[in-house]
Amino acid sequence: MKTIHLVIEDKPIIAPEGINIFQASLDNGIYIPGLCYHPKLSQFGGCRLCMVEVTERRTGHRFACAHPVSEGMIVKVNTPKVIRYRKSVMEYLLVHHELSCPICDKAGECSLQDITHELNQSPSRFKAVRMDYPMVRDNPVLELNRNRCILCGRCVSTCKEIEGIAAIDFQNRGIKTVIGTAFDRPLECSFCGGCVAVCPTGAWQDRTLGFKGRSWEFSKVPTICPYCSVGCTIILNTKMESVRRVTSDDYLGINEGNLCIKGRFGHEFIHSPERIKTPLIRKNGELYPTSWDEAIEYVAKRFQQIKNEHGGTAIGGIGSEKCTNEDNYLFQKFCRSVLGTDNIDNMANIKSPALNGLIYESVIHGMTSASLKEIEHANTLFFIGADMTEAHPVAGSMARKAIRLNNANLIIANVRGVQFNSIARNDIRLKYALGSQIILINALIKVIIDEKLVDLEKVETSTNNFDKLRSLIDKFDREEASKITGVTQDAIRNAALLLTKPGNCYIICGKDIEENPLAEDAIRALMNLCALLNPAYRGDAGSGKVSLFFSRSHNNSQGVNDVGVVPGFLPGYVNINDASNKEKIEKSWGVKFPDTILKKDAENVIDLALNSKLKALYIMGENLVVNYPNGKKIKEACKKIDFIVVQDTFLTETAQLADVVLPAATFAEKEGTFTNMGMTVQRINKAVKPVGDAKPDWQIICSLAQKMGHSCSYVSPKEILTEIETISPMYAGINYDRLKRKEFHWASSVSNKNKSTRYTFSMVKPRSSEIRKNKDFPFVLLTGASLNHQGTFSRHSKSLMSVAPECFVEINKKDAQVLQINNGDRVAIESDQNKLTLKAKVTSKLPERVVFVSEDYEWVPVNILRDRVHTSVKIYKETV
Amino acid sequence: MEKLKNPDDLKKYRKSLESKHRPDIVRIFICTTGCRALGADEVCKAFKSEIEKQSLKDKVEIVDTGCQGLCARAPVLTIEPMGIFYGRVTETDVPEIISRTILKGEIIERLCYAEAGKKTPYIRDIPFYGKQKKIVLRNCGMVDPKSINEYILRDGYAAISKALSGMTPDDVVNEIKNSGLRGRGGAGFPTGNKWEFVKKAVGDVKYLVCNGDEGDPGAFMDRAVLEGDPHSVIEGMLVGAYAIGSKKGIVYVRAEYPIAVEHLNIAIQQAKSLGLLGENILGTSFSFDLEIKMGAGAFVCGEETALIASIEGKRGMPRPRPPFPATSGLWGKPTNINNVETFANVPIIILKGSEFYKAIGTDTSKGTKIFALAGNVKNTGLVEVPMGTTLREIVFDIGGGIPGRKKFKAAQMGGPSGGCVPAQHLDLPIDYETVKEVGAIMGSGGLIVMDDSTSMVDIARYFMEFCQEESCGKCVPCRIGTKRMLDILTRITKGQGKKEDIDLLKELAEVTKSASLCGLGQTAANPVLSTIRYYLSEYEELINKKDTQSLPQESPATQP
Ligand SMILES: Cc1cc2nc3c(=O)[nH]c(=O)nc-3n(C[C@H](O)[C@H](O)[C@H](O)COP(=O)(O)O)c2cc1C
Ligand code: SF4
Ligand code: SF4
Ligand code: SF4
Ligand code: FES
Repeated sequence: MKTIHLVIEDKPIIAPEGINIFQASLDNGIYIPGLCYHPKLSQFGGCRLCMVEVTERRTGHRFACAHPVSEGMIVKVNTPKVIRYRKSVMEYLLVHHELSCPICDKAGECSLQDITHELNQSPSRFKAVRMDYPMVRDNPVLELNRNRCILCGRCVSTCKEIEGIAAIDFQNRGIKTVIGTAFDRPLECSFCGGCVAVCPTGAWQDRTLGFKGRSWEFSKVPTICPYCSVGCTIILNTKMESVRRVTSDDYLGINEGNLCIKGRFGHEFIHSPERIKTPLIRKNGELYPTSWDEAIEYVAKRFQQIKNEHGGTAIGGIGSEKCTNEDNYLFQKFCRSVLGTDNIDNMANIKSPALNGLIYESVIHGMTSASLKEIEHANTLFFIGADMTEAHPVAGSMARKAIRLNNANLIIANVRGVQFNSIARNDIRLKYALGSQIILINALIKVIIDEKLVDLEKVETSTNNFDKLRSLIDKFDREEASKITGVTQDAIRNAALLLTKPGNCYIICGKDIEENPLAEDAIRALMNLCALLNPAYRGDAGSGKVSLFFSRSHNNSQGVNDVGVVPGFLPGYVNINDASNKEKIEKSWGVKFPDTILKKDAENVIDLALNSKLKALYIMGENLVVNYPNGKKIKEACKKIDFIVVQDTFLTETAQLADVVLPAATFAEKEGTFTNMGMTVQRINKAVKPVGDAKPDWQIICSLAQKMGHSCSYVSPKEILTEIETISPMYAGINYDRLKRKEFHWASSVSNKNKSTRYTFSMVKPRSSEIRKNKDFPFVLLTGASLNHQGTFSRHSKSLMSVAPECFVEINKKDAQVLQINNGDRVAIESDQNKLTLKAKVTSKLPERVVFVSEDYEWVPVNILRDRVHTSVKIYKETV
Repeated sequence: MEKLKNPDDLKKYRKSLESKHRPDIVRIFICTTGCRALGADEVCKAFKSEIEKQSLKDKVEIVDTGCQGLCARAPVLTIEPMGIFYGRVTETDVPEIISRTILKGEIIERLCYAEAGKKTPYIRDIPFYGKQKKIVLRNCGMVDPKSINEYILRDGYAAISKALSGMTPDDVVNEIKNSGLRGRGGAGFPTGNKWEFVKKAVGDVKYLVCNGDEGDPGAFMDRAVLEGDPHSVIEGMLVGAYAIGSKKGIVYVRAEYPIAVEHLNIAIQQAKSLGLLGENILGTSFSFDLEIKMGAGAFVCGEETALIASIEGKRGMPRPRPPFPATSGLWGKPTNINNVETFANVPIIILKGSEFYKAIGTDTSKGTKIFALAGNVKNTGLVEVPMGTTLREIVFDIGGGIPGRKKFKAAQMGGPSGGCVPAQHLDLPIDYETVKEVGAIMGSGGLIVMDDSTSMVDIARYFMEFCQEESCGKCVPCRIGTKRMLDILTRITKGQGKKEDIDLLKELAEVTKSASLCGLGQTAANPVLSTIRYYLSEYEELINKKDTQSLPQESPATQP
C-alpha cells in the first residue's frame, strides 16, 4: 500500500493512502474532537467538530473525518479560528440538549460532556426551549431518550452496516429531525445493542443497567462471552462484586466491539437467585444442601466403591461445551487417570461423531487455516447449512464488513430461507431440498471441473486421486442434480463462478451439514471443493486464501474436544490406542492406565448406560437430559445409572436427577481459556467472586482427585494450560500470560507445520440423505439455533426472557393454510415418540412439509420428539 | 414503429413527416401543463368537441403544448399561422373563438394581452416575447410534448445523430467545453469540464443523472422543459452519455411533477420504439437506457450526493466530498449529474456548433438563462433571455413592471440560497459573476420581484424558515444554526428584537456558511446577509420600534 507523509500538529506522520485525517490522527495519538466519526462505520461528517486547518496547495478549513490525507499536507488542529467554530457548534448543540447529566447513565463516559469540558465552554447566549420528546421505551433492553441525541448518525450506521437491519433512521427534517423507527413503530430488531455501544451521548441506554451504578464506579474486566462459539470479547462492568452491565471494546479481541443480544444483555444469570449456592446431596429422594466436605467425601467414596466393584470403566464422564479448556482438560485427566475410564464424551462429539477427525484433517491440509476474524477480509463467502444470523451473529457482522468494504460475493445454501441481510452485489441463495447437500456440493465441483474454472492441470499434478474424482464426477448429471436439489442449473453455475473468483474464499459449514447422518460424506465433499479452490489453481495464482470453517455451538465446543474429552482421544487428538502416545501421557501424568481403558467399547457412554454397563456418571456443565438428541433414550439411560454427579451452575433438568450436585462458578467468576469455532484460544478473566459456595470446575475436580488419593495440586488455570502446552503439540507456543494480550490460533500453527501434505480427493458418492416418508407423520422436524437463547444461561437472564419468552414452531405458509393454522395458534407437534405443544409462526422461509423448532429454548425439550435427525412428525391445531 | 437503423433512416423519417405536414391548416396551441390548474383541459376539450360539432377536423387542429411562458394570463393559447395570442380563456369563449377568430379572422379583444390599456393581439408585438431568446425553450409551447414526431420535425435527434456519425466522444466534450456552457442547476460549473472528469474516471459502469428535483420555491423552469419538451432533455442526455461513456441514465424528477413524469415516460417509450434509446442507437455500437426515478419530496434531494442517496433508496442526505460523484457516485460508480436545463442546451450546441452558442451571452457566461418571474410583477411566468440581459429589461420590458402604483424595491434571485438585488443594480447585466458580486446568486433561475411595500426582514425570515424546514438535519450548524437565525428573525419581525441581534445574526451566518456540510447550509444565510447589507435600516427600525405586530408574511413566491 502506498504511504503518505504529512504533518499533524507539528508531528511528522506516515499514513496509508486513502485514510482520512481523523483516522491518521487517532492512529498517532493526536486528539481531534469529534462526535460522529467512528472508525468502524462509514464516514458521516455531520457534527462538524473535527474542523482543522489544512495546508495542501492552499490553506483552508477542512473536516478531518471527511478529508483524505495527502502528501506533504500540514494539519493544525487548534488554531484560534478552528476553536471559535468548534465552540459555536458546541454552543448550538447544547441549546436544546436536556443536560440531565446527574441522572444520565452515560455521565462520566459521555463525549458531549468531555468536549464541553475540554473546550471550556461558556454559557450559551441563546435562550431556547429544551427538547422534550418522550422517552422511547418499547422493549426490554434498549431505551432511547431523544432529548440527549445529537444526531451523530452512529446508531443508524451501526444498525444498517454492522447488523444489516436498518431498524432506525433519521426521521423528519430541520430542527425536528430525530432518530427513530419509521412511523414511530416499536423497535423491531435483533437487539444487539450496537446503538448503545456507539452512541456518544446518553441517548441510547442499556436497560439492564438502569441506575445500578455510575460509569466511574465500575471495574471493567474484559473476558469472553459465554454463549456461542464466535468468542466475542465482552467487558464485564462490576461494582461491589456484582456484574452490573456488559459493554464492548472496539479494540479488544476479534469482534470490534460488536456483540449480539446474548453477549450484551444476557449477563443477568450470573447473579440469578436460582444459582446453586451450596453442594446438594440426595437423601430420601430429595436434594438437600450440604457442605463441600461432605459432598466431596461422599462422591469420592462412591466413585471408589464402584471402581473397586466394577472397574473404572463402569464410570462415565460428560464434559462441558461451556467450561474452560482447563476445566475440561482436568476433567478428562481425572476420568482417565483417577477413575480409570475412557468412557467420556461431550455433547458436540455425541451429536457429530465424525467432526473432530474431519476438522483435524482439514487443518492438516491447510484448508482450515484462517481465523474467524479473517472473515472480514473475505472476497467470497459461502455459508452452507449455516444460519449465521441466528447461530453466529457477530461472525455475520464480520461477513457484512467484508461485503461492505471488499465488495465480497455471498452465497448462502440452506434448506431454509435463512435471513442474512447484506448489500452484496452478488448475492446467491441456493435453497436446496432437504437431504440433498452432497448432490449440491458435487454439482458445484462438477461445474468447476467441466468448465475448467480452475487450472485442472495443476490440480492433477499436486493432488492424489484427481483422475478418480473426475471420472466419478463425469458420470454425474447436472440436470439430474438440479432436479434433486431443486436449485436451478444457472444458480449452481453462478455460485461456482463466484467461488472460483480470485481472492479470499471462506466457506462456513453449518450444523445442518455437521449433525446429519451423512455428515462425513458431505464434509469430505466440501473438502474436495476446498481443494479445488486452492488459490494456487485459481486465477490469482496464490494471492488469496481458501478456508473452511466448521460451526460449533457453544463458547467452548471446540476446546472441549481439543483437550481430549473425547473417547479414544487424548488432548490434541492423540489416539490413546497408539502405544507410544499412551506411554507418553502415562509418563507425564505419572499414572498407568488400566488395560480395560484400551479395550474400548464400541458403544458410547449413553449406550453403555442403556445396556446397564454404566454404574456412575459424572456430568460437568451439561444439561444432558435436554440436549441429548434422543429424549426418550437419555431418560431411560439415566434411570439405569446408580450414581449421578452433576456439577453445574443451575439446577438443570439433569441436575434434578443427580445424587449429588456440585455448585460451579460461572465464566465471570473464574479464569481460564475458551477456544472458538475458528480455533482461536482466548483468555477469560475473573470479574467477581463466585456466588455462595460455588467453585470453579477445575478446583472441584482437584478436590475430588485429592480425596481419591491422587496428587492434584494445581493453583491456577495457568498451571493447567502450561501442562496442556507440554503434552499437546497443538498448543505448542501458547502462553497463558501472552494470551492476555493476544489470542492464539492453533489451526495456523498446526497447518504451518504440515505445509507439505498432499491432498487426496475422497470419492464421495453423490447421494441424498434418507428422509423417511411416513403417511401418519407427513412432516419433517428440523431444529436449529436461535439468536435470543442458548443453553442454561439465557433462560436465567431476565432480559433475554422478556425479549424472547416463547419458543415457536415455524410452519410453511401453504401448509399452515391447509391446516388452518394462524400465527400464534397453539399447535401440537407429534412424533412416534412424544408430543409437544408450541405456538405457531407461519413463514415463507421453510419448504413445504418441513417444520422448524429451535433447540436453544432449553425449557422446551424438543429432543423428546426425536429419535433421529430428520424426525417425522405430524402437526395439528390444538383445540382447547 | 420500426427502429431507425442509421442516421440516414432518421433523415428519411423526418422527410416523410415533413411531407405529411400540412401548412394550410390552422393550429391552436393550448398549454395544458402549467395552465391545467386554471382550466386548460376544459378549454381543450371544448375546442375538440366544437371542432367535432362543426366538422372542422380538416381545417383546425388542436395541439396540447407545454408552457408558453406568460403564465400570468393562464390559460393561454396561440393560434397559428396568424400568430394570435389569447389569455384567460374559458370554455365559454371557445365557440366564439372558433366562429369569430378561426373562421372569420376577427380578433376578440377581451382575450388579448393588454398593457396600459393597449390591446396586443399578435404575439410578435407582445414585449414579453419580443425581448426573449428561446434556445432551451425553442420547442416549449410550440409542440405537442407527447409526440416524438413533432420533435423530430423540428430537427429533433439531429444532434445525437450528428455526434454519432461524425464526432468522437472527445470531440463532443471539446465542443461543449468550447461553447462555455455552465451548469444551470445553480453552481454554474462548466459542463464540458465535468463531462471530461467523468469520461476520464475509471469504472466499468458510469451513470448519467439528470437532476429534475427543482425544489426552489417559485422555480419551475425545469418542470416547464420536462413537461413541454421532454425529448430535448433526452437528446441532451444521449449526447452526454455518448461523451462520457455511460449506458445508463436516470432522470430524477420531483414527485410533485406528475405531468413531467407522464410526458417523460411517453417520450422514453417513443424514443425506445424508434431505436433512439436502448441497444445500438441508430445502428451504432452506442447503447443507452433511461429510467425515471421519482423524488422523495425534499429540497435537499436536489443536492447531488443527497440525490444519489435517494436514488439508492436511502434517506436523501448529503455526504461529504471527496469522493466526488465523478469518481464515486451512484452505487459507487463514476456519475455525472446535470440539471434539466443544462441538458436541454446540449442539442443546440452540437447542432449549431459551439461558436454559434458562444456568441450569445457575456464573457464568462454563455447562452441563455430561463427565469421564473414571480412576485410583484405584471407578467409573471417563464422567460428565457441571453446572459447579460439587465434586470431592468427583465422586470420592466418583459415583466411589464410593477402592478399598481408601487415601486420596484428589489429582486430576489437564487431562491433560498440567493439574495436580494436592490434597485440601484437594475441596470446590471446579469451573469453568474455579476449577480454574485451584488450579493445574490444566479441559482437555478428563481426571480422574485418585490415592490416597496415588502418588508425585507420578512423576506429574510421566509427564506430562513424554508431552509430550516428543509435542512436534512445532518449537520449541526445547518440544523441548529438556521433555527437560531430563524428565531432571531421571528423575534425581530414581532418587534422583540434586540440591539445585539444583528451581530449575532452575522456571526451565526458566518459559522453556518463555513461549517455546514452541503450547499443548503452553506448558503442558507445568504438572504439574511444580503438584506442586512442593503436594508440594515429596516432591521434597525424594527428593533427600535418595539412591539409592532408585524406578523410574518405569507410566502411571496407563487408557482403558477
Ligand atoms: C440544497 C441544494 C439543492 C439543489 N437542488 C437542485 C435542483 O433542484 N436541481 C438541480 O439541478 N440542481 C440542484 N442543486 C445543485 C446540484 O447539487 C448540482 O450541482 C447540479 O444538479 C449539477 O448540475 P449542473 O452542473 O448542470 O448545474 C442543488 C444543490 C443544493 C446544495
Ligand atoms: S442516538 Fe446517539 S448514536 Fe444515535 S444519532 Fe443520537 S447521539 Fe448519535
Ligand atoms: S453469543 Fe456469540 S456472537 Fe453473541 S456476543 Fe456471544 S460470542 Fe458473540
Ligand atoms: S448543510 Fe443542512 S442540508 Fe446540508 S447536510 Fe448539513 S444539515 Fe443537511
Ligand atoms: S467527526 Fe468529523 S464531522 Fe463529526
